[in-house]
Amino acid sequence: MTKTISRRDFLKISAAGAGALALGQMLPAKVAQAARAAGHINAEGDGFVHSMCEMCVWRCGLIAKVVDGRVVKLDGNPEHPHSRGNLCPRGQSGLMNTYDPDRVLTPLIRVGKRGEGKFRQASWEEALDLVASKMTEIKNKYGAEAMVFSSTHNLSQPLFENLLYAFGSPNYGTQRSLCFNAMIVANTMTYGMEEPGRIYDDKLKYILLTGRNLLEAISTSETHDLITAIDRGAKVVYLDPRYTKTASKATEWLPIKPGNDLAFHLALLNIIIGEKLYNRSFVEKNTIGFDELKKEVARYTPEWASPLTGIPAETITRIAHEFADAAPHALAHNGWRTSNFVNSFHTQRAITILNALMGNWGVVLTEAGSEESGALGAPPQPAYPRISALRLDGVPWKYPVVPFKIGVFQELRDNIVKGDPYNAHGWFISRQNPIQSLPDRGKTIEAFGKLDFIVTVDIVLNDTAWFSDVVLPEASYLERYDPLLPVGDKVFLRQPVIEPQGEAKSALWIYKQLGERLGLGDYFQYEDEEDYIRQQLKPLGVTLEDVKAKGYAEAPEAAHGGESGELTWNTPSGKIELFSDTLAKVGFSGVPTWDEPPQPAEGQFFLLTGKIATSTQFGTQNNQLLHKYSEEPRMWMNAQTAAELGLATDDWVEVTSEVGQIHTQLLATQAIRPDCVYMTPGYGHLSKGLKTAYGVGASDSAVHVTYTDPISGGQALSQTFVTVKKA
Amino acid sequence: MTEIKHHAYLFDATRCIDCRACMVACSVENNIDMDKTRIWVAGLGITGTFPDLQRGTMVYHCMHCEHPDCMSACPVGAYTKAEDGPVTYNPDLCIGCRYCMNACPFGVPHFDYDKGIIDGAFIDKCTFCPQRIYNGQEPACVQTCPTDALEYGDRDELIAKAHERIAAHPDKYIQHVYGEHENGGTSYLIISHVPFADLGLPDLPETPVNEVSEKVMAMTIPFALSWGAVLSGVAAGVNLYNKNKEEAEKKAEETK
Amino acid sequence: MKLDITLPKFLRIGILPSVLIALMGIAFVTAMARYAFGIGAISDLSYSYPWGFWISFDLFTGVVISSGGFLMAGLVYILGIKEFQPLLRPSVLTAFLGYIMVAIALLVDLGQPLRIWYMMIHWNHTSVLLEIGICVMLYLTVLAIEFAPVVLESFPKLHNIAHLIHKFIMPFVILGVVLSTLHQSSLGSLLLIQPTKLHPLWWTPILPIMFFTSAISVGMAMIILESSLSSRYFQRGLETHLLEKIAKGLPIALGVYALLKFGELAVAGELDLLFTSGIMSVLFWAEILIGVVTPIVWFSIQKNRTSNNALLTGAIIVLVGMILNRFNVSWFAVKHPDPLFYMPTFMGNVDYFPTFPEVAVSIGIFAAGIMAFGLIAKYFPVFEDELPAAAHAGD
Ligand SMILES: Nc1nc2c(c(=O)[nH]1)N[C@H]1C(S)=C(S)[C@@H](COP(=O)(O)OP(=O)(O)OC[C@H]3O[C@@H](n4cnc5c(=O)[nH]c(N)nc54)[C@H](O)[C@@H]3O)O[C@H]1N2
Ligand SMILES: Nc1nc2c(c(=O)[nH]1)N[C@H]1C(S)=C(S)[C@@H](COP(=O)(O)OP(=O)(O)OC[C@H]3O[C@@H](n4cnc5c(=O)[nH]c(N)nc54)[C@H](O)[C@@H]3O)O[C@H]1N2
Ligand code: SF4
Ligand code: SF4
Ligand code: SF4
Ligand code: SF4
Ligand code: SF4
Ligand SMILES: [Mo]
Repeated sequence: MTKTISRRDFLKISAAGAGALALGQMLPAKVAQAARAAGHINAEGDGFVHSMCEMCVWRCGLIAKVVDGRVVKLDGNPEHPHSRGNLCPRGQSGLMNTYDPDRVLTPLIRVGKRGEGKFRQASWEEALDLVASKMTEIKNKYGAEAMVFSSTHNLSQPLFENLLYAFGSPNYGTQRSLCFNAMIVANTMTYGMEEPGRIYDDKLKYILLTGRNLLEAISTSETHDLITAIDRGAKVVYLDPRYTKTASKATEWLPIKPGNDLAFHLALLNIIIGEKLYNRSFVEKNTIGFDELKKEVARYTPEWASPLTGIPAETITRIAHEFADAAPHALAHNGWRTSNFVNSFHTQRAITILNALMGNWGVVLTEAGSEESGALGAPPQPAYPRISALRLDGVPWKYPVVPFKIGVFQELRDNIVKGDPYNAHGWFISRQNPIQSLPDRGKTIEAFGKLDFIVTVDIVLNDTAWFSDVVLPEASYLERYDPLLPVGDKVFLRQPVIEPQGEAKSALWIYKQLGERLGLGDYFQYEDEEDYIRQQLKPLGVTLEDVKAKGYAEAPEAAHGGESGELTWNTPSGKIELFSDTLAKVGFSGVPTWDEPPQPAEGQFFLLTGKIATSTQFGTQNNQLLHKYSEEPRMWMNAQTAAELGLATDDWVEVTSEVGQIHTQLLATQAIRPDCVYMTPGYGHLSKGLKTAYGVGASDSAVHVTYTDPISGGQALSQTFVTVKKA
Repeated sequence: MTEIKHHAYLFDATRCIDCRACMVACSVENNIDMDKTRIWVAGLGITGTFPDLQRGTMVYHCMHCEHPDCMSACPVGAYTKAEDGPVTYNPDLCIGCRYCMNACPFGVPHFDYDKGIIDGAFIDKCTFCPQRIYNGQEPACVQTCPTDALEYGDRDELIAKAHERIAAHPDKYIQHVYGEHENGGTSYLIISHVPFADLGLPDLPETPVNEVSEKVMAMTIPFALSWGAVLSGVAAGVNLYNKNKEEAEKKAEETK
Repeated sequence: MKLDITLPKFLRIGILPSVLIALMGIAFVTAMARYAFGIGAISDLSYSYPWGFWISFDLFTGVVISSGGFLMAGLVYILGIKEFQPLLRPSVLTAFLGYIMVAIALLVDLGQPLRIWYMMIHWNHTSVLLEIGICVMLYLTVLAIEFAPVVLESFPKLHNIAHLIHKFIMPFVILGVVLSTLHQSSLGSLLLIQPTKLHPLWWTPILPIMFFTSAISVGMAMIILESSLSSRYFQRGLETHLLEKIAKGLPIALGVYALLKFGELAVAGELDLLFTSGIMSVLFWAEILIGVVTPIVWFSIQKNRTSNNALLTGAIIVLVGMILNRFNVSWFAVKHPDPLFYMPTFMGNVDYFPTFPEVAVSIGIFAAGIMAFGLIAKYFPVFEDELPAAAHAGD
């Protein structure tokens, strides 16, 4: 596109730091005893081990090649439905996360001021004792609720939850309100399930993607499915203010005005219902609340939606017709991180309802297998103590329809700052980087400042660990066991490919050790990691050794759906709820309704965020391989707009929002609406413990303003408006 | 997998999402230095004006030419073209002259500019992953590709497949399989929705670029011999003439 | 008070030699850095520009300006034009030193300098570069033999060997001319493999012939240049009557070359490129106007052929134009495939511009050449046309 002199210089500098070594020259030798015992690895330390990727939440199956006791290559496991033999760039680079020279390999205890990054190494004994005593102290002084827990989706999360529920805290922050709360809550309110599975079969003809950038925010198998569908000639309509790589492959790209997807979808519903294009028998049999819906959407004509969305009325009408013609082989994709505006819940409901109206259930949508397979066993454990304290995140008193185990993370953070309804004193974080992933980074650091004690479980000194009092090093995903993962009719195993480096330990081990020190040993009734998995496998009658060899075991899928062929849903009415009484009862609109999103003032831009293929969130920028193949992060601005402002590519600009200001370089491009700018998340790290990533790019979280969708509790990331001027 | 008589790749630019998994895979598989690569994504340009935009992506590595120019050019014969496709390079022979880099019309071979004489500066380029393809695996870049934009197989079969795809979607593809004939044929075949030039591929004739220089080289020895003969003849003639002249002069003097 | 900066006598060296030594020193240090840290550490060469200033200057220019040697040897020995004898030795010496400089430069440019001799045992017979390598190595030997008598004559005990060489010089001279013809033209063949990279104003299948023809003109110009310069430096008389003859031949040689150049473009139907290729057209015309047209006119004027200064000026004009040609062919008009819109930027430059150290290496080697010429000319009978040994036999 453009010459990037600065990038070159920047790489020269970073290359000097990293050295021009090949990967192989960096790997310390370590023989994996478990893999050797299982016969995967021969006496020379060579062999292949089946396991699972953890570079993102998709968890593809992998086959690790080991030479001399070192992982030298990862390939996709063809038998795993999430990878089908392929790995995305992050998965390919996974061994560099494990061999990252910046790995934390012993427990660390802070010695300097918070955020100064001064730690001393400690033994596990000392670190765990310290954590347990601090937690106990907080519990005794202020109650268990003064201890906040948070973690992002991962396989050992059930044990993490064990720890917090047994400890007795109601305060649990997950990534979901930062990610896809709007989608999950909308699906739950409509279908009674978090997220239906999507079927990309040969008949799929039409796909409507609302901001789901599947070709960059990769889920290996679904990304492959989408490309194959396009190749086959399926029509893909993609809504995004940016010309992403998905946009470039879509049949039709609609650069919609941010926040107005709701108007677009309401208009689709208007046509489909008004012109009776829906599947009448399906709607009659399986849904409730059609009349209320019909009444509501009658006013949302394409002509009405056109000025809001920036999409011509005829286009909206045409798409409604095309979609209806293709139905039931037409899919309106919910999207994942569609928490773009405070109206996103209604957007998600509209998408979900569009599918329901077309009767594409069982054709392009299906009940997804849960990650918690009923077929698996688990160690025995006592019931959790009753918790009476209010939750800091306002669930359910402020967010009545947000499920408990999902929560509203950003609100939790805000209330730590406010001390409302009470003060929190400690924070236990695992596998998460809230300093970066929550909007308004300054506020998160402020919240940290209110706390007596912060402990983080991570594999590197991420920004959150950098601000913590104790850092507990987890073994990386290539070095540890995790609980089994059910996918379809199989359960897959993550097993160590190499021994943990340094003193790193698995989460299963860490939580058990802590549990025991907190007097909660009964909640962790397993000898070690292998014992935990054996107990999981017990009902299946398979031995761990068998699973180790293949990497998976057959497990009959828990039966779901009505046997009689009658479809039933886990909603209060047992039907698909086009109108939701639950919503109406707590004062929200029972049907999707128009909710005007705020507009940037003159001279302001929508600040968009969105994934790139070569990094995951805020945790992989220090991976040298990914770093090597990523472009220098720059803020996108429409080329004409930039020219009008006298800005050019590579110029340094000052970006200001209500809550923060950053400096970053500009990329003037055609690939974005003139009223938007875009930043890649995950840069501008604060931690100097990330030697590769530190100093690269700027953080969008530092300028994101915290807005929360009142219904789903999802953060509204595109609702941040910024001004941009030459720095 | 069917038996492969002639190893080849097929790259379908319409499927490639520029994710760079292939690049990472190659670097890991082949233990490439952190500041180098054997494969790169080219042509990431977005063309057009908002909102009528187009984007083409090309994944670039050695084309494994049927008549490799790198091999033709290398003075010490460090390159080898295997009968079943791969073009490989032998660092033990290389003197580091970088003529192969000049010769390759695709700019494929790379050189260790960062190595002194102690480490030894060598050429590097895609090898076709012999350690994998001769052990029943696909090349690392191909195997990982999440979209199957890169495929691997027998050259004839892939050519047939490429033509089938183009025929099935004539509206989508440019009607040409790049590499079927370019530069005398390559083992990396490319189909695309944007002009090949936009992907950065050179416009090459069907004859390999080394054709003329190889012809000239073949004439060297005969030319040298004849030229030597001519010069000797002239020298002898001149010598004789001069001698005669001298003698004549001497005689003339004597007779004077 | 006046500072006394007078040096002891043995340390006193002239200004020119001290400058030369300084330049050599800089080049030496730079070359050491290159050996320690790699070519990239001191040059701007990259994946897109594998060959740069060194190849254009040290190899392409270095070889062509050494063409006086074979030209003189051919004139004197083969065509038996004995009157040129006085120009023979300096020409052979220049050529000899020229090729040694090429070899030294290559030792800097090659990735594996210690393997330069691999070319003698590993032969890829389709490689033009191999042909050049072998020819240059053999030709260096021939030049050494041709020049050896000059050195040997200074040592009375070795006179016999000198005489022996003299006696059997003919086959070597013929071999030398053949080798020179081959590699002078092959430098052009080197670019035959770049039909897609070298601009069509220059790329032609007859590049080798072009190179040979132009090498002859350059050889003539070099003989003029060197004689004038050394006559000035060593304060001896200029063989103006000889140089005049050469100057007379130059327009003819250049005319043939010009015919080839334009004839080829006409035959290839590429004459339009002369005016439509932007900067490339400019470069082409520059080399033609400077290196061909101007000197043809210049040397056609009788007055210019007899004036020492005009001879020197004319020779320099030819050289500038022809050297520009070598730079054009090997660098300015070569377009490597763009590393495109995206290539990991750590992989190198999109644009090439020689760095200071790169140029310093070449200049240092050049300085060494001049220095060597001076020293040899000072201590050995380079400018004597008769065996000096005979003259001094009685000493
Ligand atoms: N490579 C890679 N893959 C990933 C991840 C990763 O970090 N890296 N993360 C995984 C996770 S956790 C998730 S949740 C998914 C997320 O995957 P996606 O749901 O695709 O989420 P994003 O990439 O965050 O954002 C998608 C697009 O939304 C656009 N957008 C912003 N505002 C609006 C708007 O108002 N309307 C519309 N229509 N579009 C808008 C942005 O321009 C962006 O291109 O990706 C998963 N896959
Ligand atoms: N500005 C902006 N904000 C966003 C988003 C965005 O696109 N832009 N996306 C949102 C979305 S979709 C999500 S899902 C959230 C994600 O938010 P987070 O979950 O907070 O972010 P991650 O980067 O996934 O954090 C993963 C952490 O786990 C660490 N880690 C990696 N491997 C291991 C391991 O094996 N063990 C342990 N213990 N730790 C490990 C990493 O070092 C990293 O610190 O962010 C949200 N926030
Ligand atoms: S999508 Fe990529 S990062 Fe995520 S699990 Fe699969 S291979 Fe790993
Ligand atoms: S692409 Fe270049 S390096 Fe590869 S075989 Fe062809 S000429 Fe040789
Ligand atoms: S750099 Fe090495 S491989 Fe390339 S042409 Fe020269 S000797 Fe051959
Ligand atoms: S075939 Fe092998 S060496 Fe060549 S680019 Fe692919 S992975 Fe790299
Ligand atoms: S892995 Fe496949 S899709 Fe990704 S850049 Fe490479 S060829 Fe393209
Ligand atoms: Mo997410």
